[in-house]
Amino acid sequence: MSDIVLRVEDVWKSFGDLQVLRGISFDVAESEVKVIFGPSGSGKSTLLRCINYLDPPDKGEIYLRGKRLGDPDTDINKIRSRIGFVFQHFNLFAHLKAIDNVAIGPEKVLGLSKEEARERAMRALKHVKMDKWADHYPAQLSGGQQQRVGIARALAMETDVILFDEPTSALDPELIGEVLQTMLDIAKEGTTMVVVTHEMGFARSVADEMIFIDGGVIVERGTPHHFFTSPESERVQQFLHKLDELYGQTRDERRTIAERDQE
Amino acid sequence: MMSSPASPSIGPLGIEEWVGELAAGLGMTLYLYFTALIIGFALGLLLALARQYGGRISSRIATGYIDLIRGTPLLAQLFLIYTMPYSLNAWLSPDGPPVINTRWSFQLLGLTYLNFPILASIVALGLNSAAYQAEYMRGAMASLGTGQVLAAQSLGMTKHEIFRYVIIPQAFRRMIPSWSNEASYLPKYTVIATFVSVEDLFGKAKLVVARTFLALETYILVGVVYLILITIIARILDKLYEKTKIPGL
Ligand SMILES: Nc1ncnc2c1ncn2[C@@H]1O[C@H](COP(=O)(O)OP(=O)(O)OP(=O)(O)O)[C@@H](O)[C@H]1O
Ligand SMILES: [Mg+2]
Repeated sequence: MSDIVLRVEDVWKSFGDLQVLRGISFDVAESEVKVIFGPSGSGKSTLLRCINYLDPPDKGEIYLRGKRLGDPDTDINKIRSRIGFVFQHFNLFAHLKAIDNVAIGPEKVLGLSKEEARERAMRALKHVKMDKWADHYPAQLSGGQQQRVGIARALAMETDVILFDEPTSALDPELIGEVLQTMLDIAKEGTTMVVVTHEMGFARSVADEMIFIDGGVIVERGTPHHFFTSPESERVQQFLHKLDELYGQTRDERRTIAERDQE
Repeated sequence: MMSSPASPSIGPLGIEEWVGELAAGLGMTLYLYFTALIIGFALGLLLALARQYGGRISSRIATGYIDLIRGTPLLAQLFLIYTMPYSLNAWLSPDGPPVINTRWSFQLLGLTYLNFPILASIVALGLNSAAYQAEYMRGAMASLGTGQVLAAQSLGMTKHEIFRYVIIPQAFRRMIPSWSNEASYLPKYTVIATFVSVEDLFGKAKLVVARTFLALETYILVGVVYLILITIIARILDKLYEKTKIPGL
């Protein structure tokens, strides 16, 4: 199929004796938003790192637009430049202004001229409403602002897919909204995304499919509607219930944003 | 007839006429200092990169080198380097002419800027300083954490690009405070060159004392010169640190 952007095929990964991933497979289609969730330690971050070969899988394959990663004749750096990554702790380059954080990839990796790269970076910053902060250093920005710069850094590379690893879980509650809003915006513009998150409001409003991982395997997958109305496995039910208890109060508020946006 | 000094003293310290000699010594001290600092910096950077980011073998070699250098006296290192050609000569040609010539020198405008004792001092100081500088650099690299490296990798940067654009610019900035120690102590360590008869500031001071017997005056003067030198270096590095500090951090 040609509209498959990313194919994850029977991925296994262990660290020493610890089996973290035990045969994960799924496809991500063009413009699809895939939400992955599951308990802490279930291997979600490891899965994302396997997808762009920061931690190559022990077994199984990753294909980006049909190209197999890890082939001797594919340049892994070229492939990585086509897979965006947004980190839980932002991981901005501390010595660079926001604009340079975003421009460095296009300039040094994609080979754009300095001016082109800065123009593209400025557009990406505008996109996440951070253009006014272009000349600030990461340490001068709030967590929410830093994460939006992190998203702009991925956007400016014009990648085939962007991976998000719990992009809001390190943020103060009052800063989560602005980042989720940015993510909703780009999701609706057709960005292909794989998002590890426990923000069920986000999943509800834009996920095409949700995947619940536990113990390194996919326990259940389906649409948001499926998960929020009739989840099958007991583990999923318990987990969703726990999320509700933990995040219930702030979630309502955020769902309003999500729902308002859907209208 | 009263014996008068070869050259009568002309000032309160009694060693004023030797100022030219001492200045030449200071010149040699600065020369040793800067060459050793630069060699130590370049080699230290390689050692730090090998230790922090190298493969198993290169990181082992770097660690071994650093431990060996830091665990043995600088003077012993200098003597080892200094006596090496003589030992080799004795071994290679016990009775014949020396195989390795140690009697060469390069001069310019009447100043000797390189001969075997100077070379041995520069090499010893440089190799020694490299081990200490490597540790300061490595500390700065380690304090960067892995997050930014992961981010750079996922942008598709090569190892080389990550060093150049992410690690080194930040490691250099972070390194300045602790590296200042090495940079400002190194002038003091150059005195070891005196032991292989290089006429650095300390060597010249000994010469002046031998001629004038004014030990107290001479050593105090020379001590003050070292102190001023070290203070100036520390000030410059402080300024550099302030200037390159990342806003907000
Ligand atoms: N580099 C590594 N070396 C050893 N063990 C690791 C490594 N990376 C992850 N692990 C282990 O693998 C397991 C899965 O980790 P992972 O970070 O993928 O979980 P996660 O689902 O992202 O959890 P969280 O919700 O807490 O982020 C954990 O037990 C973790 O300790
Ligand atoms: Mg994780």
